[in-house]
Amino acid sequence: MSIVDLTSMGEAQAQLRTEINERLARLQDEISDYCFQCAKCTSGCEAHKLLELEPHKIVALLKRGLIDEMVNSDVIWTCMSCFKCRERCPQKVAPVEILFALKNMAVASGKQIPGKYTAMLQSILSIGLLQDVQSVTTHDNKMVKRDDLGLPAVSKPMDAAKFQMVLSKLAIEKV
Amino acid sequence: MKKYALYPGCVMSTEQYAYEMSVRESLPLLGVELIDLQGFSCCGEPLKSVNQLLTLYLSARNLAIAEKQKLDVFAPCAMCHLALSECKWVLGKNADMKKRMNEMLATEDLKYEGTSKLVHTVDLLHDHIGIEEIKKHVTKPLKGVKLATHYGCHIIRPSEIGRPVDSEHPMKMERILEALGAETAEYPEKLDCCGALLQINLDESALTKSGQKLKAVQEHGFDGLVDVCPWCHKMFDARQTKAGETVAAKLDLPVFYLTQLLGLAFGIDKKKLGLELNLSPVDNIKLGGK
Repeated sequence: MSIVDLTSMGEAQAQLRTEINERLARLQDEISDYCFQCAKCTSGCEAHKLLELEPHKIVALLKRGLIDEMVNSDVIWTCMSCFKCRERCPQKVAPVEILFALKNMAVASGKQIPGKYTAMLQSILSIGLLQDVQSVTTHDNKMVKRDDLGLPAVSKPMDAAKFQMVLSKLAIEKV
Repeated sequence: MKKYALYPGCVMSTEQYAYEMSVRESLPLLGVELIDLQGFSCCGEPLKSVNQLLTLYLSARNLAIAEKQKLDVFAPCAMCHLALSECKWVLGKNADMKKRMNEMLATEDLKYEGTSKLVHTVDLLHDHIGIEEIKKHVTKPLKGVKLATHYGCHIIRPSEIGRPVDSEHPMKMERILEALGAETAEYPEKLDCCGALLQINLDESALTKSGQKLKAVQEHGFDGLVDVCPWCHKMFDARQTKAGETVAAKLDLPVFYLTQLLGLAFGIDKKKLGLELNLSPVDNIKLGGK
């Protein structure tokens, strides 16, 4: 199994989709009871002014069951996960967690993942880290690496095959 | 001597070397022994939008590696610290999930129990070492500089799972900087996000967020900004010029890791603290050692 299975509409994803659906349904039930649309989340949202994310509307849409519409919308990818909405909600609704579930659903449904997420996932699968060791510039324009600076070798998974095997399995593992 | 496994995460260990250098130089002076372990991977937090289970597994895996050596964990990155904290919180409440994670961990001969404690730079310094102890080591006080702090969202919130600092009025960094001899002040944008996570899919917006905060800090008349997260620092320091261009501001603000300032106040050589790797104009202010 490879990156393709982790991010595609392959058969393996059906179970994952069911699981995320259940998670969303559970959130929907709880929210129907608790959210009273005070919009405190939106008033503090870091992505609101800049990218027009309105967490209280995300909650309202979920309440009305418009899940597919949100999964297919770009707006769910504007959250920068600052967790202010979760912190400040007087009813403990946590829109940020709904957004994570919606994004997970978009990925499991085989929608194209925006930006560098796929590259990051690929890198984690192959070396365990978001990226390999980089050369960096000093402020007088010299290029240096970890070892030039006297830092020890970077810590990485020792048995790459075993590490990859588990990560690939995660796509079909129950939530 | 307090012993911790140093969990380096990806960003600090693959590009933000100044943080790692200053952590490794300054903390041993305060009686902290940092142990390097083999086999760590990404904490998973940046991929939470892709697959939350993957995040949970990667965090459990890293904690299990430290547990195997019976060590507590020091995570200097705010993002990693959140992922590991949330993993401990979720698996502490959900025995089924813990069992499931352990079934997968067994492939690599690992087991998660939840026995290791977790610290970040700020609570390690403020709560575990203590202000009085820090003061004892200051030989070159940071006199005459007024510094703004940036904590980073992920060590601030969500308080529900337990965070190293207060969620609405964090003051521990201020207390530490004052112990080093610097002046601090409150400012309205203190809790604003750096936007770093948006680098992944909306880079222009990430730069705007950072630019707006840097511009505000500069306009308030601070001499510099201090942070404790490699993601935030990359935005404020290495990408400062670009962030400034995005918000049409000429930015000229020195940005430091807290541990760099700690080292300077302790008289450690600038080079050992990685100050030549800061791309913001850190030489604009005269601080501590040579």
